[in-house]
Order: sequence, then structure tokens, then C-alpha cells
Amino acid sequence: MNLPVIDNVLTVLVVIPLVGLIPLLVVIRDARAAKQVALVTTFVELVVSLLMLAQFRVGEAGFQMVESVMWLPSLGIRYEVGIDGISVFLVVLTTLLTFISVLYSSAGVIKHRVGEFMAAFLLLEVGMVGVFLALDLFLFYVFFELMLVPMYLIIGIWGGTRRIYATMKFVLFTLAGSLLMLVAIVAVYLASGEPGQRTLSFQELVSGGVRFDPTFQVLAFLGFALAFAIKLPMVPFHTWLPDAHVEAPTAGSIVLAGILLKAGGYGLIRFALPLFPLGAQAWLPIIVVLSVIAIIYGAAVSTVQKDLKKLVAYSSVAHMGFVTLGIFVLNVQGGVGAVLQMINHGVVTGALFLFVGIQYEKTHRRLIADLGGLANRWPLYTTFFGVFVLASLGLPGLNGFVGEFLVLLGTFASDMRPIGGPVWGAIAAVGVILAAVYLLWMFQRVMYGTAREAYRDLPDLSPVEVAAALPLLVLTVVLGVFPQPFIDVIEPSLARMLDLADAALALYR
Amino acid sequence: MTDVLAVLPEIVVAALAALILGIDATVGEERAARWLPWVAAAGLVGALASGVYYPASGLFFRGFVEVDAFTAFFRFVFIVLALFTVLVAPSYLTRQHVPRAEFYATVLFSTVGAMTVALSTDLITLFVGLELMSIPVYVLAGLQRRDEYSNEAGLKYFLLGAFSSAILVYGFAWLFGIAGSTEYSRIAEAVAQEGLGSPAVIVALSLVTVGLGFKAAVVPFHQWTPDAYDGAPTPSTAFMSVAPKAAAFAAILRLMSTGLGPLHVDWVLVFAILAAVTMTGGNVVALVQTNVKRMLAYSSIAHTGYILAGVAAIASGASAGAAVLFYLFAYGIMNLGAFASLMYFDTGGTTRGATLDELNGLWSRHAVGAVAFTVFLVNLAGIPPTVGFLAKFFLIQPVLDAGFAWLAVAIALNAALAAFYYLRVVVHMFMYDADAKAPRLLPSRLLTASLAVMAVVTIVLGVLPDAIYAFALDAAVPVLVR
Repeated sequence: MNLPVIDNVLTVLVVIPLVGLIPLLVVIRDARAAKQVALVTTFVELVVSLLMLAQFRVGEAGFQMVESVMWLPSLGIRYEVGIDGISVFLVVLTTLLTFISVLYSSAGVIKHRVGEFMAAFLLLEVGMVGVFLALDLFLFYVFFELMLVPMYLIIGIWGGTRRIYATMKFVLFTLAGSLLMLVAIVAVYLASGEPGQRTLSFQELVSGGVRFDPTFQVLAFLGFALAFAIKLPMVPFHTWLPDAHVEAPTAGSIVLAGILLKAGGYGLIRFALPLFPLGAQAWLPIIVVLSVIAIIYGAAVSTVQKDLKKLVAYSSVAHMGFVTLGIFVLNVQGGVGAVLQMINHGVVTGALFLFVGIQYEKTHRRLIADLGGLANRWPLYTTFFGVFVLASLGLPGLNGFVGEFLVLLGTFASDMRPIGGPVWGAIAAVGVILAAVYLLWMFQRVMYGTAREAYRDLPDLSPVEVAAALPLLVLTVVLGVFPQPFIDVIEPSLARMLDLADAALALYR
Repeated sequence: MTDVLAVLPEIVVAALAALILGIDATVGEERAARWLPWVAAAGLVGALASGVYYPASGLFFRGFVEVDAFTAFFRFVFIVLALFTVLVAPSYLTRQHVPRAEFYATVLFSTVGAMTVALSTDLITLFVGLELMSIPVYVLAGLQRRDEYSNEAGLKYFLLGAFSSAILVYGFAWLFGIAGSTEYSRIAEAVAQEGLGSPAVIVALSLVTVGLGFKAAVVPFHQWTPDAYDGAPTPSTAFMSVAPKAAAFAAILRLMSTGLGPLHVDWVLVFAILAAVTMTGGNVVALVQTNVKRMLAYSSIAHTGYILAGVAAIASGASAGAAVLFYLFAYGIMNLGAFASLMYFDTGGTTRGATLDELNGLWSRHAVGAVAFTVFLVNLAGIPPTVGFLAKFFLIQPVLDAGFAWLAVAIALNAALAAFYYLRVVVHMFMYDADAKAPRLLPSRLLTASLAVMAVVTIVLGVLPDAIYAFALDAAVPVLVR
């Protein structure tokens, strides 16, 4: 079968949600029409992103489908987009989770100001897709910030009771980090050459012509890493996350956990590491320690959570610890593991938030102590939820296992000093065990035991909810059983990023 | 005749102001109310066109005036700002019984003064321009005669403004004493010989910095600002928070770089420190305000600090001048829009703007107004894709280039701090429901249309800024430190 080849497909991906916004703004007062427009737009976006995936040439390390147009001629800043093995799945994950979120939200969960909700989501999708496509630091920053305002509104308008506190905290944390990154970006621009030849194009910056001196790298890396560490979030910058997740509406939680956090991990791999390898080396010990702390701390705190949503939120902190650990052991296994972990976490935690949301819509309870015995009432729900819980705790055969396993392999293989990789690997492995503890214990308390009288007549999953969850279930199993095709895509590009970092390091030896 | 043609835009605006006063006297304000703003708008467009149609460059009026790209840029900025002021004001003026024709004429006279400041290459022209700009603004502040706060604002602004003018003119006297001339070029030669070691130069430079610092609302010379901005009728506030500030920076750039250029490089540290103090001071006090108008007044002080950082970075060349000019233009539109957004509220004859609580649920009451206000606030916060973000991006670049890394970090941290109070306004508009205490909204199609246009402009320029930025780069060439 010949699939259609779309020219400039990456720009098309950026533009589709914007185009969808136009009819949406026309019918914004009509909830039904607004839902339909948003559904069609996000579905078209999903289909186009899958066609883009089909166009992707597996095994190539460099960027593909690159488009580059001069944007600000007086500064030499370009509109430059492209995709490689690291970003390609993240883009598809974005379009998929956005579609699922819109689908689930249009089934009656969002009751007021539906049109505005959908508009915010489409705008958010532009930012999320753009972040993974941008190859110019300026363009990247614009997309990175573009995600901020829609998410701010989504949490603040359609969130829970403490939504305003949560959304302000989310915005201020993120903004403080990203503004420092802006200073670092400008510094990179100034250091990139003589006036008139300056650039922020990633490809030009790493092509060997630009050298940043060591002190500069240490500071610039800090600027970038702070922004990403807050977004990711790394301990100790994670405190906004539980609040934002607990108060966000379900769809907001899904994309927040599934996509927005990934922008942080992606930024570290794509920009911070290859651009400033010396800076990365200087900060590496601290990041590794913080990653391991995040894994243990996130798991430990999850164990004692009373609120279901908060438990999933803190588990994200632990899972993101694996991502940063995998990136900064600086070998291919760890890096591939980190990218897989990002994809898997997007699928699984997105799904967990979806199911916590579905459950809350039915019972209006989120405290674990108030729940129990749901398994008898909801066989379908229990099956789905059970698979995602098992995937989240890293059961072999499901996707959660693959990423964490590769990260641990990479950690054991690394020769970090002064304390070697095996020590950190061993500590991190404890986190996997803790994950089993808090997730299974939670599952037991929520699903088993005696059901409350009030929950007796609550319906099981609706067809829309099954439709929203099914793609995630399929991905969970496929990624778990056949990870190799995915690794084949990711590995060459990831190896290239590490090679770029090595090449830059070699300049200073 | 070439002299006259060279300043044709200024002449057109002045004639326009006189024409409006004439219409007021003959036709009568009430009968002309409907079409008077359009007369002013058409005249302003004509003034802009006359500058394009008769391009001039060089020294005129025996060296009192210089027309160049710098002048052209500021003409463009001032005319655009006056144009939007005239278009957003009518409904407020009518409801609050502020004399309309006088308002338009006063704004136009002040605009002529501001344009003259950008023309001047001589202390005399500069002073005349500054006064022609300032005196109408004192009137604008007190124009809502029956409101005691407006009276207070007018009086306070007048007294402190007169005080600052006196300091400035005293500084000019010292400069004249040093150079024996009021021409910038002569002053530059004399000052270069004396150097910063000379006490006379230090005194002159300090007095001029303080005097212009007053006009631009630089901390610690900002004390008049909150009361004057808060008490003035809102359309006056919108105008006087942008145009006089831009004019003050036009004066600083031209005088400091061409007149005092030889010393400027040693003087920049003073500006850098003032910049950091100003942005931090403005933002910290803005954080605790509950009246949005007063909050925006402090926010405009903070923005003075950002712009001053660009002045401090003047050693890094045209990019610094361009950053200041671009910022002034962007700030002009976004700040004018933000103040103008408060004009929806019927404050019953007072000038007090609106409290945060009164903004509750504005979204459901006036969607376009709330969205436009949000766009201006996002601009002020410096979040992309807006012209306000680009202004900060263009600004950080020369600041870092000049070696003020600490100042660049201060800008970033201040922007994060400021985002808190800007976004808090959005919280009240979008995330709380309106209650019974919410003030009545004034019907105003013209205000809504103008705000929508301005909001769209800030976003379009946020994506495609190159034309304006290239213009600003051109305009910065005459004020390069030589």
C-alpha cells in the first residue's frame, strides 16, 4: 500500500491546530459544534502525524524532513524544524494523547465553557508539537512558552477547588526557569560568532564551527538545565507538580504528565547535552545524585499518599528520575532507555490519569480510603486499570519495564567517578521495588475489598472511555513485547547526540 | 522653506490641535463629538504621511534641529500612540464629563512636544520640546475637574514636573558653562577635553540624569508616578504613561550619546544600577497593589527599568539603541492597551480605575475586552508569541553583550516576579465569577474595536517583527556612541 507523502509535513503539523482554531472561534458558544471541530482537528492532526511516521526513514541518525526559512533576517534567526529518532515518537505521542484528551473531555466531563476549553487545547497542541520539532533555539523557546498560557488557563478555569493556587505555582515555577534559559539562549547567540554571522540554529551550533569556553558552558548549561529541571520536574523543583496534577481537569493531567514533562527531558537530550558537554560534565554528579534521590523519594512519598491523583503525580517524579539518570550516564543504553521511558511514561501515566479521572467522575471520591471493592462492579475498568498499573510498576512484558531496564543497564555499565555506576544502579533498582509496593497496595485498596453501597449501581466504562483507553492499552503491550523496532529508530539518533557531545569535548582535550 | 518642510509632521500635528480647538469654539463640542476623534485620527495619519512624502535629513534651523532615521522612528511611535489614545478615549470622556475637544487638542500638543524632543540637537530645542510635552500632560492629569484625585494628580505632577525641569535646566546651565554653547556637538568636544575628572562635568551629568530620570520615572525619582497615573482620568493615564516616557528616553539617548558621548561609557554603570533598582522597585511594589490602575502604574516604573538597562548597554552598538527603540514602541502599545482596558468600567465620575475584585468574571461579561486585556498583560509579562516578549529578547542581547550579565539575570528574575501580578489580573477576569458588586460596564464599540486591533498588532508583530526591528536598527545609527 502506498501512503500519501505530504510535503512540509512538519509545518503542516504545526499549522493544523491553528487552522482548526478559526472555525472553533466562530462556533465557540455552541458546545456541540465546538467539540466536533476540536475532535476533527485533533484527529486529522493524529492521522497526519502517523503519515509523517510512515515517511520517517528508519536507521538514519540525522534530522529528516528539515525545513528552514529565514525568520528574522536582521538577527539571522531561522524558522527551522526537523525530526529524528528522538523526537519522532514524542510527536506522535503528543497528537495521540491530545486526541484522547479531547475525545474524553467531549463526552460530558467538561460542562461549562466547552468551546473555550477546546480552543485552549488546540493552542496547547501547537506548542507541544512545536517543541519537539523546533531546531532553532529561539523557535524552541517560543513553542516552549506557548505551552504555558493554555495550560495555565486549563488548570485555572476547569480545575478543582485549589486550582488558582496550583496554576499560579505552575506558571511561576516554569516561568522563572524558562526566563533564565532565555538569558542563556541570548548568551549562546552572542557567543556563536561575530555580529552578522550569529545563529541559534542547532545544526549550525553543533557542526563544529562554534566553541564555547568552559566557564561559559558551565553557566549556560545551568540556565538550560534549570528550565528543564523545573519542567521535568527534578527534585527539588518538583513541588509544583502534585498541586498542578491534583487540581487539573483529567485531560489537563493527561497532557501535563504525558507531554509537558517530556519537553524537559527532551530539552536536556537535544540541546543542553550536545551544546554544552563540558557544562554537563561539571553538573553531572549533582544531576545523577538528584535523579537517584528523585527515584527513591518519589516512590517513598507515593507510598503514603491518601489521594489517588497525588499518588500518580508523585510516581511521575520517580519515573522522571529514571529519565534524567538515563540521560546523564552518558551511554547509548541509558539514553535509549531514557527516551523509551519518556514515551512509556507518557502512555502509562497518561492512561493512569485518565482512569483516575473516569473513576472520580463516577464516584466523586479521590481519597483511597473512600474507595474499595470497585473490581466487582467494573470488570472492564479493572482489567484496563490493572494492566496500566502493572506497566507502571515495570512488569516485564509491558512497556514500563523496557525503559527502566535499559536505564539500569546503562547505569551499571557507566564508569562514573568518584562513586561508580553500579552503586547508583543498585539504589535506583530499589526504586523499582518500591514502585511495586505503592502501586499494588493502592490497587488492592481501591479495587478489592467490599464495595460501598453508593457505588453499587455505577456503570462500567462507556464506549467512549474504552475508545480513549484502547490505543494506550495496545501501545503498552506492543512496546512491552516488541521494543526492538522502536529502539532501532531511537538508537542511531541518540548515538549521534552523544557523538556530538564527544566531538565537542575532544576540542578541549 | 526646506527648514519648514523638514518639520512638516510637527507642523501638521500642531495645526491639527489648533483646528480642533477652533471646531470646539465654533461648531461646539456636543455637536462635533461624534466625528471629532476621526478628524484627529485623519490628521495624525496625514502627519505621518507628510513625513514619508517629504523625507528630509540633516541639520535644520541653523543646527537646532536634526532630522534623521532616529527622528523618523520617534515620529512614527508618537503618532501611533496619539492615534490610539484618541480612538480609545471617547466613551470614557463622554461618560465622565471630561471636555473632549480639549482632551484631543491637549494630547496633540503634547505629541508635538514629544516629537520635538526627538528632533533636538541643541539644549534649547530639547528644553522647549520637553516643556511643550510636559505642560499639556499636567493639564491632562487634572482634566477631570470635579474629581479630587484628578486635581491631586494634576497638582502633584505639575509641582514635581516643574521641580524636575528646574533641576534639568540647572544641569543645562552647567553644560553651557563648560562648553560655552548649547549645541550637542560643541558640548561633546568640551566634555571630552574635561573628562569625568572634572567636578563641573560630574555636577552637570548628575543634574541631567536626575532631571531626565524624573521625566522617565526612574527610581528613586518616581514618587510622583503612582499618584499621577492613578488619579488622572484613565485615557490621560494611558497616554502619559507611554509618550512622555518615550520622549524622555529619546532625550537620554540623543543627549547622552551625541552630546555626552565621550563620557557615556564611564557613566553607564550609573544607568545599570538605576535600571536594576527601578525594575525591582517597581515590581515589588506592584505585587501588593489591589487597584489594577495603581498596579499598572508601578508596572510602568518597572518597564522604565528594563528600558534603562538598554541605555546602560549602549556601548554594544546599534543593537542597544535598537533594543531601546523597539522596547519603547512595544511598551507604548501594550501599556496603552492595558490602561485603556480599564475604561470599560463605569466608575461613576471618579478616576479610580478598578480593583482586582471588580474585574471578577469580566470574561463572561465582555469576552473581547477580557481577551484583549489578557493579551496586553501577556505582552507586559514578556511571554511569546508577543511583541512584548521580543522586546525583552532584543533587550537582553545588548545587555549581555555589554558585559552586564548580572543585569540580564536581574531582568529575567524581574520578569518572572512581574508575571505574578499580571497573571493575577487574568485569574480575576477568567477564573472568578462576577458578583453583585461588579461595576457597570460602559458600552463602547470604538474602544473594543481599537483594543482588538492593538491586541492583534502585538501578536502579529510578535511573530513578524523584522520590519520594525530593522527600522529601529536604522534609527539607532545616529545615536551610536562615537
